[in-house]
Amino acid sequence: MNSYYAATLAVYAGVDIIACIALNLQFGVSGIVNFSFIVFQAAGAYTAAVLSMPPDSAYGGYQTYIGGLQLPFPIPWIGGAIVGGLLAIPVGLVVLRKLRPDYQAISLLVLSVIANSLITNARTFLNGAAGIAQVPGPFSNQVDPLAQSYQLLYVGLTLPCVLLVWAVASRIVNSPFGRSLRAMREHEVAATAIGKNPVQLKMTVFIVGGVIAGLSGAILVGYIAVWAPSVWLYPETIILFAAVIVGGRGNNVGAILGALLVPVGFEEATRMIPPTIGGWVPPPNLIPAMQWVAIGLLIIGFLWFRPEGVRPEPRRVFEGAPVREDSERVLKS
Amino acid sequence: MELYVAALGFGLISASVIAIAAVGFTMQFGITNMINLAYGEVMMVSGYAAFYVNQAGVNIWVAMIAGALAGAALSFVLNRFLYTPFQRKGTNLIGMVIISLAASLMIANLMLPLVGYDTSSYVIDQGQLLRWNGLVLTVAQIAIIVVAAILMLAVHGMLRYTRLGKAMRATAANPTLARNCGIPTQRVISVVWLITGALCGVAGVVAGMDSENFSVASGAGYLITIIAAAVLGGAGQPYGAMIGALIIGLVTELSAAAIAPEYKQVVAFAILVLVMVLRPQGMLAKRGALAAAG
Amino acid sequence: MNRFQPGVRRHLNPTRLLSAIAALVVLAACGGSTPTTGGLGSGPLLVGVLAPFSGADASFGPRYLAGCYAAALSINGAGGVGGRQVSCQEFDTRGEPADAVPAANAMISGNSNLMGVVGCTSDEASTVVPILDRSHIPMTCMTGQSEFNKTNFTYFHRLVPPDSFDAYAMIGSALFGPGHAPYKNIALVFGDDIGSQTFVGPAVAALNKLGVNIAINQAIHLGASSYRTEVQKMLLTHPDVILTETIGSAGTYLGEVKQLNGGKMIPFIGTSATIDPVWFKQVVTAIGLTDFEANYTAVDLALSLSGPGYDEFVTQLTAADAKYSGSQALTYKGKSPTVHLYDGIILDALAMVAANSSDPTVYNPKIFTIANGVPGATVVNTFADGVAALKAGKSIRYVGAAGENNFNQWNNSQQGYNLVTMDKNGNEVVIGQLTQAQTQQIIDAGGNA
Repeated sequence: MNSYYAATLAVYAGVDIIACIALNLQFGVSGIVNFSFIVFQAAGAYTAAVLSMPPDSAYGGYQTYIGGLQLPFPIPWIGGAIVGGLLAIPVGLVVLRKLRPDYQAISLLVLSVIANSLITNARTFLNGAAGIAQVPGPFSNQVDPLAQSYQLLYVGLTLPCVLLVWAVASRIVNSPFGRSLRAMREHEVAATAIGKNPVQLKMTVFIVGGVIAGLSGAILVGYIAVWAPSVWLYPETIILFAAVIVGGRGNNVGAILGALLVPVGFEEATRMIPPTIGGWVPPPNLIPAMQWVAIGLLIIGFLWFRPEGVRPEPRRVFEGAPVREDSERVLKS
Repeated sequence: MELYVAALGFGLISASVIAIAAVGFTMQFGITNMINLAYGEVMMVSGYAAFYVNQAGVNIWVAMIAGALAGAALSFVLNRFLYTPFQRKGTNLIGMVIISLAASLMIANLMLPLVGYDTSSYVIDQGQLLRWNGLVLTVAQIAIIVVAAILMLAVHGMLRYTRLGKAMRATAANPTLARNCGIPTQRVISVVWLITGALCGVAGVVAGMDSENFSVASGAGYLITIIAAAVLGGAGQPYGAMIGALIIGLVTELSAAAIAPEYKQVVAFAILVLVMVLRPQGMLAKRGALAAAG
Repeated sequence: MNRFQPGVRRHLNPTRLLSAIAALVVLAACGGSTPTTGGLGSGPLLVGVLAPFSGADASFGPRYLAGCYAAALSINGAGGVGGRQVSCQEFDTRGEPADAVPAANAMISGNSNLMGVVGCTSDEASTVVPILDRSHIPMTCMTGQSEFNKTNFTYFHRLVPPDSFDAYAMIGSALFGPGHAPYKNIALVFGDDIGSQTFVGPAVAALNKLGVNIAINQAIHLGASSYRTEVQKMLLTHPDVILTETIGSAGTYLGEVKQLNGGKMIPFIGTSATIDPVWFKQVVTAIGLTDFEANYTAVDLALSLSGPGYDEFVTQLTAADAKYSGSQALTYKGKSPTVHLYDGIILDALAMVAANSSDPTVYNPKIFTIANGVPGATVVNTFADGVAALKAGKSIRYVGAAGENNFNQWNNSQQGYNLVTMDKNGNEVVIGQLTQAQTQQIIDAGGNA
């Protein structure tokens, strides 16, 4: 049995769970279609990288990047989370105004493409298309990163982060703030009428989501030791959206299930497809291409048959509220 | 200075290619309320349809018809069997966007095993290179500009002067009211998908002619630029899309002349972002992007 | 008093959830078995092709897989490695580091009989090379990144030159190439992707140090539909020659160069990666064969693409093409990666036989010895010949389909550079060579980063 692969799956699961919880807060609970989500994860990863790397003259100077402050854990992770949140401010100010949801979605998508193109071409900033390599993970000076014990250490670092994020997100979802978000999602005009400020609500959840997304990026980059534009192209956001939809929007358990089912479960399960199927060797690119077709079918299938996801958002009912006979929502809970 | 005039000419070609596509895209949005993110892939498929006809010895300008037909057919099928059922089910706007994204993923990845990963090229005679006052264009490129102009005029004519056009505009403005006035909105929508699909197909072929090689991956590249042009001009406004295409095409090439060319795409999109900040409904729309009431 | 109570809500017990996850993870990771000790062992052997099979670089994987198929057929036809049959399997990295890590780990976890790995391109090498090295798996990598020029990973082998050396050779071609006076005004046109970036830095450093004028250093966005403005800008600087790679967009760019230059083509020098049927087709379609022949040169390792080693490769590649109908193996017979990785696998197999061990810690050092040879070694060109010579007690040097290899202390194989072009069928033709002195002069100027 290979502990490295098990550890990889565990760390990736943790990162994806954290990312899906963040996206769920933005999309599932608040209805913001953040098609640029992956940019915030990338911002956290790059920040953690440049905070923990030595200056760019190291290792022969084959890469150029800003920073290089060689700061120890946990500063890079905290820095990554903070930058993820900071990035949300200008993006939110530009996009989260009185735009209808699908316009918001499109502008965020375009922003995601712009960001990727900018970083790729501004080579001295974050080393362009090649990205930043040899990123030291936490405690990599004390424990050999290639040893099995390091894998255990990393899982041990990831797990508390997952639990912390889950706890924070649960508090948010079950708090008055969460109720306001859901109210805004369901009927923005009504929510405004009772005094909620949708723009402020959206900005807040956008920033919170950005912080969590940044943390997920910091965790991932410390593990894989590399970060490049190819890692955060816009289809990555789509995978996470599929995860949140499949798992069930609006609730954290749904987000967790979605993260385990789609980016971890589905993407990893397709690695297990045998190379020959009853003697027939498929053309080399066929199975990878079919994986994407399957993801598309998964999204469409879930949206058709079970739009509420594997674990639907629990409907919250007030004790003593009048039960209307035609209220499908009550019946469904 | 000469460079800028030349860039202007290049911008015109880019604008022509984008305009044909953007008008179709924006009409799909305006009349059927569908942001069709599979549009780029339909362009790519149509480009390949024309490619195979071209390989069989047919002149590319004639093969363009095959492209238009492929685009029309695929768009019609997409709408009839995927989008409409979900819309009838009451799926909201975002759900539809995600569905069109899923469709684009599937189309692209189904094409890959069929046509492979390498690039393909049309057999096309570019014709002479003409120079005039700093503009540098081949005959074929001028032909593309002419085709685009003709199509724009045709769209304008259809919308303004035909009954179908009026029915389209009515459906776009208020589908319920249009239906109450006796307009067969379902049939109008089907026709819209056929026509915009044909535009999409022509755009795909023209893009392939313009760029000398194309591949399955080209589809995604087209999409972002088209969205930018459509949104810039005001989503749902065909004339806006034409203006948006012109702006994006010209700005892209002029900025490549003025600053480092690897940023030219970024500049175009930055313009888009600027417009979203300053005038979120786009240039021509009156309400388009603003939050709809209820 | 708070009258708010949650409605029907099932609490998912976190402990149960986490145990379930853990169980899934454990199940997924199972698949190992005990290692063999001494001798060649038994059971099938696997070569992993760890490379992009989807995403932007999806065309890379199949060409590496074809090389593996050919090698496997060659080895198995000669009785296998101590009777053990070799097979090939693809492991898709999806062309990016975050997906490459689970791919590499899944590959290792699920297969205890890995004899070697080929692929590891610059898209993912930085993450997978350490993983493979720690698991003691000999690898033959395609990455041209400078970070591997002086690597400490003992299981890493590179049979293709680092991109920086390609860049130096191109400058050498511009300055010392046959058939023209040294070019004075050089245009650099490369893409903004990873693979291209690693050329530009060294090239600029070397040219500046040598005092040669860089007309323009242009980065273009690969895959764009046209570059007319970029081309016009470049033309206004009046370069003598264009140094380029621009895989996938070369046809578009160079075609527009010819168009906008009034039908006259500017000489252009390509990297070793341009010696490729697809690149050839794209550019010839765009500018025509005559202009191509008159203006194109490229640089390459002294690759022979002829001789008994290459013949065996082509024979097996043809067989692979027939056996694996979807692989299109034969289309890759002129492709440098296919040829080099074939040699890499044969080297792995011969090393196992020479060491008479399936333990990589034992046979990995033999790869170096067999590639470079020792004084008095018998030269062999195929696996079968190698096994026969080893059986007769001789030490061998494998000179394979790509010709000689000379590993330096960092397992990078270097030799002189050839200046080449392609004939009308896209076959490589050598037209000149750079001397050691010339190459060294440029390397010194640019720095061996």
